[in-house]
Amino acid sequence: MKTNKLFVALAALALLACNKIEPEVIVPETADYQGTVTVQYQGEPYDNENIEVNFTPSEDGKTASITIFKIRFVPQMPVTIDVTIPHVGLTATSTEVILICDEVIPLAMGGEFPRYTVTNLTGSIKDGSLEFSLNFGDIPTTFKGHQLLK
Amino acid sequence: MLPAVLSILISFAPPIDTLPPAYAKAFKESVPLEKLAAPVSVLLPADLKADGVVGQGRLSALVPSLLIPEYGASLTSTIYLRGVGSRMENPSMGLYVDGIPVMDKNAYDFDWTGIRFAALMRGPQATLYGRNSMSGTLVLESASPDGNRHLNAYVEAGLARTLRAGVTASFGRHVVTAGFKHNAGWDRNEYKGTLCNPYNGLSLRWKWEQDPTGKTRWSNSLFATLSQEGGFAYGLYEDGVLHPVSYNGEGSYRRLSVIDGVGFHYTGDSFTLDGTGSLQLLSDDMHMDQDFTPQDVFTLQQAQNSATATAEVILKSRKEHWLPSTGVFTFYRYNRMHAPVTFGRTGIETLILENANKNIPEEIGYLSIPDEHLLIASDFGIHTYGAALFHESVFPLGRWRLTAGLRLDYEGGVMDYDCLANLHYRFVPTMKADKAFQVPYRGTLPHSSGLQVLPKVSALFEASDHVSLFGSVSKGYRAGGFNTQIFSDILQSQTMTALMKDLGVYLDNIPTSVGAENTRYKPESAWNFETGARLVKENFRAEATLYYMDVRNQQLTVYPPGKSTGRMMTNAGASRSLGAEAELDWTPGAFHFHASYAWCDARFVSYNDGNHDYSGNRIPYVPAHTAFASAAWRHSFTTVSLHLSASVRAYGPLSWDETGLLQEPVHIRPETRIALSFSHWEIWLRGENLTGRTGRNFYFKSVGREFFSLERPCNILLGISINY
Repeated sequence: MKTNKLFVALAALALLACNKIEPEVIVPETADYQGTVTVQYQGEPYDNENIEVNFTPSEDGKTASITIFKIRFVPQMPVTIDVTIPHVGLTATSTEVILICDEVIPLAMGGEFPRYTVTNLTGSIKDGSLEFSLNFGDIPTTFKGHQLLK
Repeated sequence: MLPAVLSILISFAPPIDTLPPAYAKAFKESVPLEKLAAPVSVLLPADLKADGVVGQGRLSALVPSLLIPEYGASLTSTIYLRGVGSRMENPSMGLYVDGIPVMDKNAYDFDWTGIRFAALMRGPQATLYGRNSMSGTLVLESASPDGNRHLNAYVEAGLARTLRAGVTASFGRHVVTAGFKHNAGWDRNEYKGTLCNPYNGLSLRWKWEQDPTGKTRWSNSLFATLSQEGGFAYGLYEDGVLHPVSYNGEGSYRRLSVIDGVGFHYTGDSFTLDGTGSLQLLSDDMHMDQDFTPQDVFTLQQAQNSATATAEVILKSRKEHWLPSTGVFTFYRYNRMHAPVTFGRTGIETLILENANKNIPEEIGYLSIPDEHLLIASDFGIHTYGAALFHESVFPLGRWRLTAGLRLDYEGGVMDYDCLANLHYRFVPTMKADKAFQVPYRGTLPHSSGLQVLPKVSALFEASDHVSLFGSVSKGYRAGGFNTQIFSDILQSQTMTALMKDLGVYLDNIPTSVGAENTRYKPESAWNFETGARLVKENFRAEATLYYMDVRNQQLTVYPPGKSTGRMMTNAGASRSLGAEAELDWTPGAFHFHASYAWCDARFVSYNDGNHDYSGNRIPYVPAHTAFASAAWRHSFTTVSLHLSASVRAYGPLSWDETGLLQEPVHIRPETRIALSFSHWEIWLRGENLTGRTGRNFYFKSVGREFFSLERPCNILLGISINY
């Protein structure tokens, strides 16, 4: 009889434990964002307005590539270019996706673009907004934008 | 005083040749040529021989206001008449051979062996002759059978290994003509060390006409030419100096043209019915070094295979005070054109890479195209079709002949274009290997010249038995079409844009280029107001006219700015031509005099290309004056006749471009001919351009550079003919 009471008590405890709801982790998804890229040029901020950024996670959701379209690093540049930052590490929580990458060679103009090696990339995706900062070579760069409606 | 002197001179002169009846069938008019309310230049067989008219180019200045400069190759056929003309696309002068409208300008320039009669009616002849006869219509007639046997053969040889030979045989209801023409070329290509414009051509003509005694008469006229020639003797003009011709690419033109026309004539009790149907085939192949330099920049091939069918029926009736003509005309033409542009290594570097890399910062890298040749393939299938309904009524009322006519002309077309740029590229240093890249550019583009309403009103007043005064108001038009020669520029631009997009690089200053939808050009139209007088008395014929042409949507060949490689037809606002023409032909006794003169002031009324306003400037390539004068004397001995003639033709000055800053002075070309005629044969010696001065006769730009071609130098020709 004593044994039965113990079993019932454990079962009740287990049921209580099951009813405690864990917060869901965000699953990173492909999305396009639009916002402002700010680069530091000779100590002054230089804004690239209405820049589109594509965020594409890998299949396992552990990394992502970020493509910045038509960016200009210095005001005098007579061209804008598309730059892709591969292998950006992702950490998903229940409220945001954290981006982090210590160093990676970006892709532009058909191949690797070591002149503008990316360092110290940190950022996040939260509530439909994407923010990150990084160095393109020795050019500090930030992006703040909102997800475009599909 | 002058009329009195002329009257005395005329009264002592013998009668001149009258127009043989056979020639009249070449025309659509209901009245004889001398009753036309339009100026007409007529060349009979003796004139063609005496003036050495062996092709259309020899009509320059001989016909007032006409200039057909001979340059490039046989496909060029640039015709300026009364201030209207262009070197590309549709001509402003209609051409009829044996009653068949020649629909392709590439077939206009041919050897006139076998042609026995030429007449050029100036001013719009659109009511009866339709499209492209805006400034005039040239009517040619070959020898017709008369039921007897005739044989005529000739051979003529001259400098630059010029050789012309021909034979015309008439038997029964047939006339067969064969001709051969050879020339070693006049202009030396300094780079190649060879003459760049040799010519070899064959022509064959067969004409059959049913016995004209019956009510129904059928006829057939077949004309074929085959030629292989060099061409494009263009020298670089730099800092006021014209350099010799010097280029490394191929310059050649091959053409096979076959035109066959079937004619039908029915004579009823009170009407006549004329029908003409033709099939016209043209296959040609042109190769051109389009930079005309020794560098391997870029070349063009343009091969066309076209087929055209035409049909026309005209019903005419004849009443005492009313001569109505009503007709329908229709045609369809399909032209398959293969026009690849190939860039050589120098062209890739200077025209493509230099342009692309100058916009890319050095620290980013540079674009490289490793190909030795870059091919931009362009193929076009162009359908053109049209139909017209026309009516013209002549009212002979006493001394008056009043004419009213109207033509409704519709023309449309569709162009299928299929272009492809094929290359490899690499962006250094980011790309580790070359990448194959293709840029297709395909589509279909319709075009319509719309419904053209082409009226005509004219009046001729017979002031006396010999003098008539005339005036007319008429409208003509030149069809619109497609600019195919600009597609290489379009595709270059498309390729650069696509390639940069593929790289993810975007230029701030994107070079502007037209798209396919901008390659259409509109029809050109002109109202012509004219008055004139004609004096015809026995051996004397004189004609003088004043005209004013109001031209809308003037078609003009332009060169896009910068290092562009194409050229295109554009509609350059409005222009006007104001002119006076006079022509005189007189045969007093053993002498024969012929003179013609024209003054033409052709200017833009409004033309702004977006960068400059050219309003008020002279229209390029149009001479302000044309003049021709010849004097001939004939003396008969017992068995031989001696013919001596001397002539001079002149034209100019003219502007080479819209700015009017680059001018050409007057060209003067004296000529002479000495002949001994026996009963069945003749031997002659004639000289062309006796001073040997070679003025400039064509100007253009390519890749921002200027080029000229020169007239042919002096030629001395010895010929012999037999006639049985």
